[in-house]
Amino acid sequence: MPVIMRRLIVIASALLLVTLIAIALWINQRVKPVALTPSLTGQVEYCLTCHSDLAEISPSHPVKTYGCVICHGGERLALDANLAHSTMRGGKNPADFSVVQASCGGADCHSGSPGAYRDHIQCSTTSIQDTYAGAIALIRYTYGDQLDLTARLGTRAIDDAQSSTGITSLGLFDPSQEASPSVRLFGQNCLSCHLSAQPIEGIQYARFTGCSACHTPTQPAAINGAPVGDLAKIHKLTTAMPYTQCNTCHNRGNYDLRTMTFQPRQDNSADRLHHYYQPIAEFTKCEYTLECVDCHTRTEAMGDGSLYSSKFDIEYTQCKTCHGTLTELPKTRTLTDPNDLAFRMAAIYPVVDLRLGDTILVTEKGEPIWNSRVLSDGTYAMVGKVTGESFTFRPVKGTTCKQDPANQTASSCHECHSVQR
Amino acid sequence: MNERWKEPSLSRRDFLKLARTALLTASGLIGLAGLWRYFSFQTEPPSPTDFDLGPASAFIPGSRTVLTQVPAVLLRTEKGFTALSLICPHLGCTVESKSNGFACPCHGSRFDFEGRLLRGPAAKPLMVLRLDTSSDGHLHLFTD
Repeated sequence: MPVIMRRLIVIASALLLVTLIAIALWINQRVKPVALTPSLTGQVEYCLTCHSDLAEISPSHPVKTYGCVICHGGERLALDANLAHSTMRGGKNPADFSVVQASCGGADCHSGSPGAYRDHIQCSTTSIQDTYAGAIALIRYTYGDQLDLTARLGTRAIDDAQSSTGITSLGLFDPSQEASPSVRLFGQNCLSCHLSAQPIEGIQYARFTGCSACHTPTQPAAINGAPVGDLAKIHKLTTAMPYTQCNTCHNRGNYDLRTMTFQPRQDNSADRLHHYYQPIAEFTKCEYTLECVDCHTRTEAMGDGSLYSSKFDIEYTQCKTCHGTLTELPKTRTLTDPNDLAFRMAAIYPVVDLRLGDTILVTEKGEPIWNSRVLSDGTYAMVGKVTGESFTFRPVKGTTCKQDPANQTASSCHECHSVQR
Repeated sequence: MNERWKEPSLSRRDFLKLARTALLTASGLIGLAGLWRYFSFQTEPPSPTDFDLGPASAFIPGSRTVLTQVPAVLLRTEKGFTALSLICPHLGCTVESKSNGFACPCHGSRFDFEGRLLRGPAAKPLMVLRLDTSSDGHLHLFTD
């Protein structure tokens, strides 16, 4: 054998050895997958290989029961990040309304029957918080593009044959088709609040879309709380939303109806009293001591599955809802049915220990204010859903309140009871 | 002849032969190790479905024992033993023992101590698991 051939064989042998050593090292350094088999799906997934440091998203969605993929999608067996994330639903937000049915739906989850109060997706995607149909109708009526206040257009075209209000569909609001320049400007500048809209720039407005706009708090729970971190790392779902989350849309400023532009708040609030509402607002002590969600109900915020022209037609929490009037006590219900919605609500975020036989306040439409209770002396107690703080209060009936029974809006009560700041 | 110009004890040809042999041997050993690793790979054994709970006499009448090996509770009444799964029949969360029964921490379903459904959203009672006593007097719980 010629010398050159012998040398080539040695070189080839060395290359073979180096290659095998490299392969062995690569195999030994590969990520060891962390397997999880959620009891709900029974299918192994490797997401925790990289995401084991994530906190449980909520007590109602434990990871060992649900896993990750049932909500987020993705390639459950991939160990490469790009491949694993390539088919995720909604990117970092599976609760965006464009994918919510696949992520959160299901008869046992959030698209069940209205009778079981499980039609959350149907409710929220037809609610005026998403359709913005009420505001669109109001602006179009104000500027002469429609002749009444009935909702006809929304941020999406919707058919809702089951709607009980007579409004069974909404067309898509297309500002470019509007006659009024103001309505066109409204379409350009004023549609950043509905649940499918991306928020305007600014950390104080930062929120997700869809269900997560409210249920994934992105803001510190108090004015002096810790600043918002990286939104992409927030992994939380809750029904106890702090007022700061509501303020990403509400109380954040005003719309100038002449120029149809958003005017942000200019006050730099240092405490909750000043932060809760913008400077022009009037409010009572309970309105800034409690959280928004302590009084305003799920139906009021999420709708009831039908299409409406005004939030007030869906559910309207007023002062009298909890305090009654001079002639009537507030509406109450004694819990006799173990399947009463109040028990489920109280179980999801257990700040109160509701029991059969307890009497709670209810809204005009019978919706339970489950964090309230009628006390034996005829007064009432309410527990803050976020703070756990307990408040007691009296009915108006039997007091020297000077209210006019015909005027029960908040502004009437504010004449005597507004907080000075 | 000068010592410096002596022929080395290992000729170039022998050196190349030795190097080739050593390199191929090392490669072969690594290859064999890889094959050994491949063929000796053990898949995870299937989850056990038979749990030895120890002597039946260890559970006194009237006792209610939440088991550690499996999410289940063992009840011993005057009528004998009953084992209830603590997996909620709604969506599969593990229910917790409370003063008046079992409660699901996920969605609030409630069950009494016999596993009967008190409150939804679960639609079924807790599942009763099969029990057997072996010849040595040990109680066995089956989850299949």
